[in-house]
Amino acid sequence: MIRTALHYHRPQSLSATSSLLAEHAGDVAVIGGGTQLLPKMNRDEMHISHVVDLVGLGLNEINVGNDSIELGARVTYDDVLQCASLREFAPLLPRVARGVTGGRQILQQGTLIGSACLNAPGTEMPGVFTALRARMRVYGPSGMREVSADEFFIDAFAVALGPGEFVTSAVFNRSDRAGYCKIKHSAGSWPIVTASVLRDVSTGGYAVTLGAVQAVPLRVQFDESDPLEIMVAKAVTAPWSDELAPASYRAAIAGVTARRAFNEYQGATS
Amino acid sequence: MTIDADGTYIDQPESLAPGRTLTLTVNGKRHRTQIEDRQLLVEVIRNNLGLTGTHVGCYNGDCGACTLRIDGRITKSCLVLAASAEGADIVTIEGYSTDGLDALQQALWDNDAFQCGFCVPGHLFALSDLLDRNPDPTEEEVREALIGNLCRCTGYMNLVAATCDAAVRRSGSRVEPAPMQTMLSAPPPHPYL
Repeated sequence: MIRTALHYHRPQSLSATSSLLAEHAGDVAVIGGGTQLLPKMNRDEMHISHVVDLVGLGLNEINVGNDSIELGARVTYDDVLQCASLREFAPLLPRVARGVTGGRQILQQGTLIGSACLNAPGTEMPGVFTALRARMRVYGPSGMREVSADEFFIDAFAVALGPGEFVTSAVFNRSDRAGYCKIKHSAGSWPIVTASVLRDVSTGGYAVTLGAVQAVPLRVQFDESDPLEIMVAKAVTAPWSDELAPASYRAAIAGVTARRAFNEYQGATS
Repeated sequence: MTIDADGTYIDQPESLAPGRTLTLTVNGKRHRTQIEDRQLLVEVIRNNLGLTGTHVGCYNGDCGACTLRIDGRITKSCLVLAASAEGADIVTIEGYSTDGLDALQQALWDNDAFQCGFCVPGHLFALSDLLDRNPDPTEEEVREALIGNLCRCTGYMNLVAATCDAAVRRSGSRVEPAPMQTMLSAPPPHPYL
């Protein structure tokens, strides 16, 4: 049983949600799907007195526009897998979603943005939103603002949200191709290293985003002829260590993980 | 248990933790029960309602033994705050089949698909969810449907065989079970070895 005397809140508006988060700042968490949050609370690794459930706000839509795509805060991995438009216009998302561990039970409950907001290094979504160059839409006491993924993931288990703020959606540009590779021990394991490859519009080349390898995602821009493994190895300066793998192992396999993701990208283009 | 000043036994001291009255429909019956906000759904199902067929293996979303069907979706009930399930329509293993063993349960029995049985409630929900969506799954699809459920006894081979057997039984093309088929024939190739 969760050991703190928890208060459960289910607000019905953005402003009411923000007010609750501000009122209990430092002693409150937002529940998206709850699949990562509740085990942490049950293990007494997180001591809070209030949880705010977003279920009353909707926020479960995927809107595919002409240029950009908006993903609501309560969109689940299964929602992504069921959305035909994402397969065409954001193929990285269903590619990642189908490899998320825990079975259909988790796919139907876990939310992409909830996972991103916890920003546990050994998870998929921080790297994926960074790869997509997503803008996180944040609602708070001052209204709505946008934060780029690069600025959102500030440290392990820390994101750029102030008191009273929460993420309502993520917005990112369409992309028609992607490559992805996840290294993990088994079908039911969390990732040790992930690599997402997309075309880099700013350089005309490519960008690989390494997830789970450092405290926050790491982006490396490259061209087809570049020595990708060497570039990635040089970029990994502070590899993450946890019960799945030591830092030295993550540093050693980051380059080959990036190469495999690029190989998949190239296979998708041929 | 505590005893108050006049010698009265108090079985359930009043909790000081925040709580509420929760209304659920479980196996077709409406329940109203007093909960604490910090209670997980699996704790309410087992401790408040006494439906102990739902098991707790890990409290981490890994083992799947606490899987229920909530509003039609299979869900690991250790990952749900009970308060968030207000008004939900829930099926537990006690309400899984109302008319004896169904085809899947019978196939698990006939194929020796479990030993200790601790994981079976969760497996049944995961596998029936698969067969409802896909009446004729391949072996690989059965294995994928089992990713969220752990069994430490059987090694899954007989679970896979039983599910394929159940698919045939549910299609009506064979009524009689084929007991011990898997154990007597060569095991199928294992894709994860």
